[in-house]
Amino acid sequence: MATQVFSIPKSLKKDVKYSFCPGCDHGVAVRLVAECLDELGLKENTITATSIGCSVGLYDFIDIDAIEAPHGRALAVATGVKRANPDKFVFTYQGDGDFASIGWAESMHSAFRGEKLSAICINNTTYGMTGGQLGPTTLLGQVTTTSPTGRNIEYYGYPVKIAEHIALSEGTAFSARVSLDSVANIRKAKAAIKKAFEVQMKGLGFGFVEILSSCPTNWRMSPQQAHERVRNEMMPIYKLGVYKDITA
Amino acid sequence: MVAECVTGKKVLMKGNYAIANAAIKAGCQCYFGYPITPQSEIGEFMSGKMQELGRAYVSAESELAAINMVIGAVSTGVKAMSSSSSCAISLMQEALSYATADQLPVVLVSVMRGGPGLGNIYPSQGDYNQATIGGGNGDYKLIVLAPSTVQECIDLTYKAFYLAFKYKNPTMILADGLLGQMMEPVEFYDYPYPEIDTTSWALSGAKDRSARVIRSYAPLEENQCVFLDNLFKKYELIEQNEVEYEEYMVDDADFVVVAFGSMFRNVKSAVKLCREKGLKVGAFRPITLYPFPSERLNSLADKVKKILVTEINMGQMVRDVRLAVNGKVPVLFKGKGVGAMIDVETLVEEIEKQMGGV
Ligand SMILES: Cc1ncc(C[n+]2csc(CCOP(=O)(O)OP(=O)(O)O)c2C)c(N)n1
Ligand code: SF4
Ligand SMILES: [Mg+2]
Repeated sequence: MATQVFSIPKSLKKDVKYSFCPGCDHGVAVRLVAECLDELGLKENTITATSIGCSVGLYDFIDIDAIEAPHGRALAVATGVKRANPDKFVFTYQGDGDFASIGWAESMHSAFRGEKLSAICINNTTYGMTGGQLGPTTLLGQVTTTSPTGRNIEYYGYPVKIAEHIALSEGTAFSARVSLDSVANIRKAKAAIKKAFEVQMKGLGFGFVEILSSCPTNWRMSPQQAHERVRNEMMPIYKLGVYKDITA
Repeated sequence: MVAECVTGKKVLMKGNYAIANAAIKAGCQCYFGYPITPQSEIGEFMSGKMQELGRAYVSAESELAAINMVIGAVSTGVKAMSSSSSCAISLMQEALSYATADQLPVVLVSVMRGGPGLGNIYPSQGDYNQATIGGGNGDYKLIVLAPSTVQECIDLTYKAFYLAFKYKNPTMILADGLLGQMMEPVEFYDYPYPEIDTTSWALSGAKDRSARVIRSYAPLEENQCVFLDNLFKKYELIEQNEVEYEEYMVDDADFVVVAFGSMFRNVKSAVKLCREKGLKVGAFRPITLYPFPSERLNSLADKVKKILVTEINMGQMVRDVRLAVNGKVPVLFKGKGVGAMIDVETLVEEIEKQMGGV
């Protein structure tokens, strides 16, 4: 007798064409979000505000109601959804450029207001969808199409540490940075996403998870090399951990 | 203190408060805004009233955020609005383009002040183009309603909520600083329109149905063409059904003065004076700036010899009048950059001068 040990989460659509690049961590992140929605019984009561970037594909995969926000405005749109429907579960899924550059005001102010929302930010240190330009989280020294000799402080300033900033807000109930480079870290990432969802469900405040994520295409690396970069170059600067948890 | 607005009772009220009260009576559940003169009374009033009623009010971090909050709320089928002015309405253009693409019933009040740039807080009609042509990307239109009295601020706020939901299209109430700040006697009445069913499209969670996506991203050329064809079929319907205008003494007129919003008030008085002098003058006011009453203006051009357009701007609506009239008669323009409406004496003088050759 065969036992089924793995299946597609209910919150994912079954017959869609995979549109992320091979080896991209977006795929893993979307699956984790779907598993958390399933396990918390949220599928039928959820509305998500998607963002502009590679993350826009979320609504192609996820089997829940969604609205596509303009670039950077996901948390403003989500605020509108939630204020109009306090009983719904509302989350955003955004890129680092969307969340921490063009949408920085919307992101920070949602945290300041303590909106009962959950936000997931995929930090791949670049504007992925537009071909890999320098973004707010691009590391010092990192070569991108708009930092051809690498990011230097004189020219481009410092990279943004998102999870730390969100943790500073009194309205934030949970803020963590996770990674998807190993099975152990994927497990921790899922636990963090779940926590960010639960603080909203309990009405405690803003829940946030920054996910260090690979972009093999724009980094011009194999998926393995890309995960090594996450470990060796990103993690020393963007340290994993829980930066705020008011339930702890 | 803002007067209590009991149905059927005459009260004295500012335009801004009339709009806010009408929105509440229309069932607006959420207000999102950021302060700017000359419309700040709307947000100030809403902050207290919405809390008292257990509805939502958010002091947004910017107009960018405010209008996107409206998008979020209305995507769930709930009535929601924002209000703002001129340079700050500029910040909302991207979201208005998205909201038309997403076919969402956004209601936005624009109380015009001087521009371009920061300009000043005097009344103005300088955002006619911003409202009717827009600064957002792509082919889209807002429904635009222009009140000229405080009573009409109430009437058209009700109508804005109705049309926004009827057509699933962003709808703007285009007032100006004079109307926003002026007090007039008004009478409130209950929201007169039917409630529009939103259950076929609103986001509510995918329970007992497949998931819904409200999106504008259409990677394929053919999909975007089909979408735009359908969008413009909707605009044809709006143009057929929703044109509204006011006429004053046009029946036997040789000369018609066209104005919208507050400016029409003085135009009407000027026409009255001209009639006393025996001049056959009439006045015409588009109430819907989109859909514009082009057909009616075109047929008026068969009877009159000249049309004069007056606006508190450097000549914006005059273009729409010229397009409507299509060269049948000369369309003249009398404008003023910003500030108080052109006074009645100046208007009479201008009419007499222009009628010299009629
Ligand atoms: C207002 C606006 N500016 C620019 C763009 C172009 N654009 C689309 S996606 C994107 C970058 C997104 O980067 P990020 O948020 O980091 O997401 P990623 O693609 O890396 O997952 C940009 C700049 C846009 N769509 N809208
Ligand atoms: S461009 Fe980068 S982030 Fe976007 S799907 Fe490809 S690998 Fe993923
Ligand atoms: Mg990115």
